[in-house]
Amino acid sequence: MRNHENIFNKDVQSAPLSEPDDWALLSPEERYIESGKLWAVYLNLGGSLDPEPDSQSPFDFEENERAIPADGRSGVHFIRRGGI
Amino acid sequence: MGGQACILYGAAEFSRDLDLTVGIDAENIKTIKHALSELEAKLIFVPDLDIAALQRGHACHFRCNSSGAEGLRIDLMSKIRGCPDFPQLWERRAEISLPEIGEIGLLSLPDLIQAKKTQRDKDWPMIRRLLEADWLQSRSNPETAQVSFWLMECRTPALLVELTQKYPEEAGMLVAHRELLEVALRGDLQSLELSLRKEEDLEKEKDRLYWAPLRAELEKWRREKHWKKS
Repeated sequence: MRNHENIFNKDVQSAPLSEPDDWALLSPEERYIESGKLWAVYLNLGGSLDPEPDSQSPFDFEENERAIPADGRSGVHFIRRGGI
Repeated sequence: MGGQACILYGAAEFSRDLDLTVGIDAENIKTIKHALSELEAKLIFVPDLDIAALQRGHACHFRCNSSGAEGLRIDLMSKIRGCPDFPQLWERRAEISLPEIGEIGLLSLPDLIQAKKTQRDKDWPMIRRLLEADWLQSRSNPETAQVSFWLMECRTPALLVELTQKYPEEAGMLVAHRELLEVALRGDLQSLELSLRKEEDLEKEKDRLYWAPLRAELEKWRREKHWKKS
């Protein structure tokens, strides 16, 4: 969860994996609790629970997937009004 | 069956909704309707919660409005492409106990992986992560069936080569079912990546074909709904 691509598995000294093993090696209950914490932060920051638009989804219809950015705010806003 | 299940199996994911696989006998539908009403869940798209629609493979989409679950999206499905019908999915489920919730049923890992073989690019790295997590958790003492499962489903080229080196006999026996194992046995990483891409493209195409008539039906219902509204 904390690093990115190509993490080397130290025990086996072989296959580069997509993510470090500390998350995978937590128990499901621990992952559930940690994921809940992430949810709380996300919602506190104003995160939306609407799915992001996904043109590859069979359910990609505008009524079903409202395009609201993750911060819940419009992506376009005035930096300065009036004048040049 | 969705992102939440991936988290519980050990793949890193941030999921904003809850995807549930449900049995569709009349009694269960009644129970589901009751639960949705407790959550003050409103249908947000077509089709209505309907046995026939779920049976054909459609999903029903809801948004909750009850206190503590405001805005939560719930998607219900009963039929998943490439997976057996619900009674068998239920039979094969994993059970897990979560704090403040209790026992829940999870789609078995092989079924979850099959469910993720969709036309969407974003589902494929998740399959890779799920397999890696399973391997990390059980590599020290895997059962024979688990080794076969890894050989048949793994999507990480270097790990696949490692698996075929560690279990060459099992890999050799499975070549007839997964051709790219032959490439993995040769240790040819570059060709293996290409073979994995081909495998992915083939499944994506199968998924598009599977959804084509369902999507046409969704379009029809959507138009009818608009027409009724206006």
